[in-house]
Amino acid sequence: MSFRKPSVLPGFGLTLGFTTFFLSAIVLLPLAALVLEAASMHWSDFLHVVLSPRALGSYRLSFGASFLAASINLVFGFIIAWTLVRYEFPGRKVIDALIDMPFALPTAVSGIALTTVFAQNGWIGRYLEPLGIKVAYTWIGVTLALTLISMPFAVRSVQPALLEVQRDLEEAAETLGAGRLYAFRRIILPTVLPALLTGFTLAFARAVGEYGSVIFIAGNLPMKTEITPLLIVIHLEEFDYKGAAALGVVMLVISFVVLLTINLLQAWGRRQHVPEAR
Amino acid sequence: MSITLDQVTKHYAGVPVVNDISLDIGDGEFFVLLGPSGSGKSTLLRAIAGLSTVDHGRIALHGRDVTHLAARKRGVGLVFQNYALFRHMTVAENIEFALRVRRMRAKRRRERRQELLRLVALEGMDDRLPTQLSGGQQQRVAVARALAHKPEVLLLDEPFGALDAKIREELRRTIRQVQRELGITTVLVTHDQEEAFAMADRIGIMNQGRLLEMGAPPELYSRPATRFVATFLGAANLILALRTPDGIQVGGATLAANERSSDTREHEVVAVVRPEEIEVAASREALSAGFLAHGVVDEAVFTGAVERLRVRLANGASAQLLAGTEDGVTPALQVTRSQYEQRAFAVRAGEPVAVGVRRLHVLPTPLSSFTCCATSSALAEALSQEPLLTELAARMKTRIALRIEPQLGAADARCAGPEAFVGTTVIASQTECAQRAEWLLRRGAKDLLVLPEHAATPQRVLIHWLGEAARGATLGMSASVLRHVPAEAVYVGILPGDGEGKSRPPGMRELLDARSEAQAAHGLEMRTELRFGDVAQELVRRLGESPAQMLIIGVTDLTRFAERFRALLDAGQWPVFIVQRGAP
Repeated sequence: MSFRKPSVLPGFGLTLGFTTFFLSAIVLLPLAALVLEAASMHWSDFLHVVLSPRALGSYRLSFGASFLAASINLVFGFIIAWTLVRYEFPGRKVIDALIDMPFALPTAVSGIALTTVFAQNGWIGRYLEPLGIKVAYTWIGVTLALTLISMPFAVRSVQPALLEVQRDLEEAAETLGAGRLYAFRRIILPTVLPALLTGFTLAFARAVGEYGSVIFIAGNLPMKTEITPLLIVIHLEEFDYKGAAALGVVMLVISFVVLLTINLLQAWGRRQHVPEAR
Repeated sequence: MSITLDQVTKHYAGVPVVNDISLDIGDGEFFVLLGPSGSGKSTLLRAIAGLSTVDHGRIALHGRDVTHLAARKRGVGLVFQNYALFRHMTVAENIEFALRVRRMRAKRRRERRQELLRLVALEGMDDRLPTQLSGGQQQRVAVARALAHKPEVLLLDEPFGALDAKIREELRRTIRQVQRELGITTVLVTHDQEEAFAMADRIGIMNQGRLLEMGAPPELYSRPATRFVATFLGAANLILALRTPDGIQVGGATLAANERSSDTREHEVVAVVRPEEIEVAASREALSAGFLAHGVVDEAVFTGAVERLRVRLANGASAQLLAGTEDGVTPALQVTRSQYEQRAFAVRAGEPVAVGVRRLHVLPTPLSSFTCCATSSALAEALSQEPLLTELAARMKTRIALRIEPQLGAADARCAGPEAFVGTTVIASQTECAQRAEWLLRRGAKDLLVLPEHAATPQRVLIHWLGEAARGATLGMSASVLRHVPAEAVYVGILPGDGEGKSRPPGMRELLDARSEAQAAHGLEMRTELRFGDVAQELVRRLGESPAQMLIIGVTDLTRFAERFRALLDAGQWPVFIVQRGAP
C-alpha cells in the first residue's frame, strides 16, 4: 500500500515525517499537557473553578465580544478588501500596508493607544461621554480592542478571493439585466463566501486568544469586564496552576467546537454547490 | 437598422482605441468585426453592449438611442471568450438567470429553458454544473443564457478563442444555425479570418481603432482597398507596378486593371497578387499567364490540399516586390498551387522558374513607395533612417528608395536622375527647404513629404488644400496616411479676412462639402475647423497650438510657392505632405 502519488516535488516521506513531528512537538504535546494538568484535579474542584459565576461571566464576555468583533470584521473587512482590490487611488499601497499594522504592534501598545483615545478624557471619549456612551472600561471597549486586533485576518482572507472574482461575471450579470445589488447578492457573495467564512473563523480565533490589548481598556471588573484569559492569569498569579489549566481546557473545548462547526458548515456549503467536484 | 453607430470614439490615456466609427448593421444580419488584437474591436463591442462608455458619438439599437443607457436596460445578449458562466449555479440556473431577474414564473422559465437547451443541443444537461461540462458545452450554455431574455441583438466576443479546432467548427455551425433560426442581429468579434469568412454576411475590418473597410467576404478578398486588408485577409503579394494608358505594367507583363482610375497620368501603384493567382513554369515560353520575372524556388511545402512555394525573384527582375505579410523576411513571392498544378509541373527548392501573374488588383492608395531625395548619398541614407519614415514605411509595408540630386534646389539645374519621380518623394526639413520643394514639384514630383529630424508620430493630421484641382488627391492622400497612423483628422478651412462680414456662409458650406466628400469617397472621418486670415500664417499658428501634428496640404498653382510657404516649411518642426495636382 502506498500513499504516494507521482509528484514534481520529491521527498514525500521526509516532509510527512517532519509535519507529524512538528505538529506533535509544538501543538499536540503542550495541549495534552494542559489537559493532563487539568485532569489531575478532582472532579468537583474542576467544576467549582469552571462554573464559578466569575468564570461564567468571563466566558460570556470573551466569546460574545469575540463573536461580535469577528462579525464586525466580516462586514467591514469585506468593504476594505473590496476597496483595495477594485479601485486604484493615491495612497492605496499605504493603506494596504497599514492593514497589517495590528499584526506587527505589540498588543499591549494597541491597548494603551485605544485607551488613550477612548478614555473619558481621551480624544474621542470626551465627545462620547456627554452622549452617555462609555467605551473604555466597558464591554464596548473590549469589543473594540478585539476588532482592531483581528481585522487583518478578515481583510487578508477575502482579498485574494475578491481578486479572483472575474469582472466578466459581473458584466455578464449586468447584460442579463441584473442590477448591482442583485449581481452582488447572487454572483459575488456566493463566490467569496468560503473566503469570508475563513476570515471570520481566523478573526474569531485570534480574538478569543487575545490578552494584551484588552486588559488595558477593559478595566477588568470581575463579572463585568473580565475576559477569560485574564482570569487564567489571575489564577496563575495565585499559583493555582490547576485552576488555570481547567479554564484553559474549557476555552480549548469551546473554541474547538466553534471552529469545527464553521468548518463543517463550509464543507457542507461546498458540497451543495459542487455535488461531484472533480 | 438594428445597430447604428455614429462617429463612436473612445480614448484610453489620450490614445483613440475606437476612432470615429460609423456603421449600420441591418436586421438579422451576421456582422463580423475582424482585426488583430488591440485594434479596438472588443472595445467597440463592449460599447455596443453598454459595458464601456464612449467619449463621443452615438449608438442606437433599433432606432432607440442607447448611448447613455445602462447595459442591463439595452436588451442585448453578450457571450464572452471565457464563457463567464456562474460557477456556483447549475446549467438551468445559469440559463434562467435573466428570467429570474425579470421575475418570470417558474413554469414559464422552465419552458423557456427547455427551448433554449434544445436550440443549443444540450437537452438533459439542466442539473450539471459548468465545471462538469467541456469547453464547447460551456460556451453553448453561455449562448443559451445570452438568448434567454430574447435580446434584440446578440454580441459574441471571440467566443471560440479557447476551444480546439474540431469543437470550434461544430460550435460555429450551431451558432450560425441558431442565428438563422431566430433571425437575430448578431455581431461577432474575432481575429481569425477563416472564422470571419465562414460566418459573416458582412465583415468589417478594424485596425488601430479605425474601421478600415467593410463588405461581403468575397468582395473584400478580391477587391481590398487598403494594404492592411489585402495582407490581413489571406496572404497577399504586394508588388509595385506602373499604371499606363494600356493597363498595369508589372515586370514584363501588362495586365488589364480590374477597375478604372480617374487618374490618367502614368504613375506608380501598389498591386495585390494573391498567391493562387501566380503561375510558375520551367521557362517564360511555357507560361500561360503574363510573365512577371525569373526566380528561384526558396522553399516548397506540401500542406495537403495545396502546395506553398516561396519564390525569390532573380536579381535585376524589373518587378519590385514589397515585403510580404511576414515582416523581417527578405521579400519572396508567396505562391499556392493546387494538386493539379503540382502534377503538371513539379518543382523542388533551389530550382529556377519563370513566374507569371494571372490576375492582379490595384490598391486605390496614392502612397505607393517612398524615395528619399538629398544632395549626397550619406544625407539620403540618414534621411531614410528617420524613425517616422521607417515607421510609416513599415506600417504601409512599402520600401524606401534613395535618389541623389546634387543640384537639389539650385535654380535652372536639371535633374540628375533620368527616371521620372514615382511614389512619394521625401526631403529633409531644413533651410531652403521651401525652395527645394518647389524645385522638385516643378520637375515632376507630385507627392512630397517634408520631414523634420526626429519627428514624433502625429496624433493629429491637419488637412488643407488650395485650388479645387487638388482636392480629390489631397483627400485620397489623407485617407491613406490616416489608415496607417492612429491620429485624428482635422480639415482646416481658411477664409481670407477677419471673420466679419459676408464671407462666412460660403465658407461653412465648403467645410460641410469637404467633410461629406471625405466620408463618401475616401472613407475618411474628419473634424472640421474654420479660420480666417492668410493661409500659410494660419497653418503655422494652428500647427503651433499643440505638439505632434502633421500637415497634408494640396496645391495646384506653384507660383511663388517657396515664398508663400517659407515660414511653414523652413521652420523644420512639422512633417508636411505636399500633394500637387492640376496644371502647375
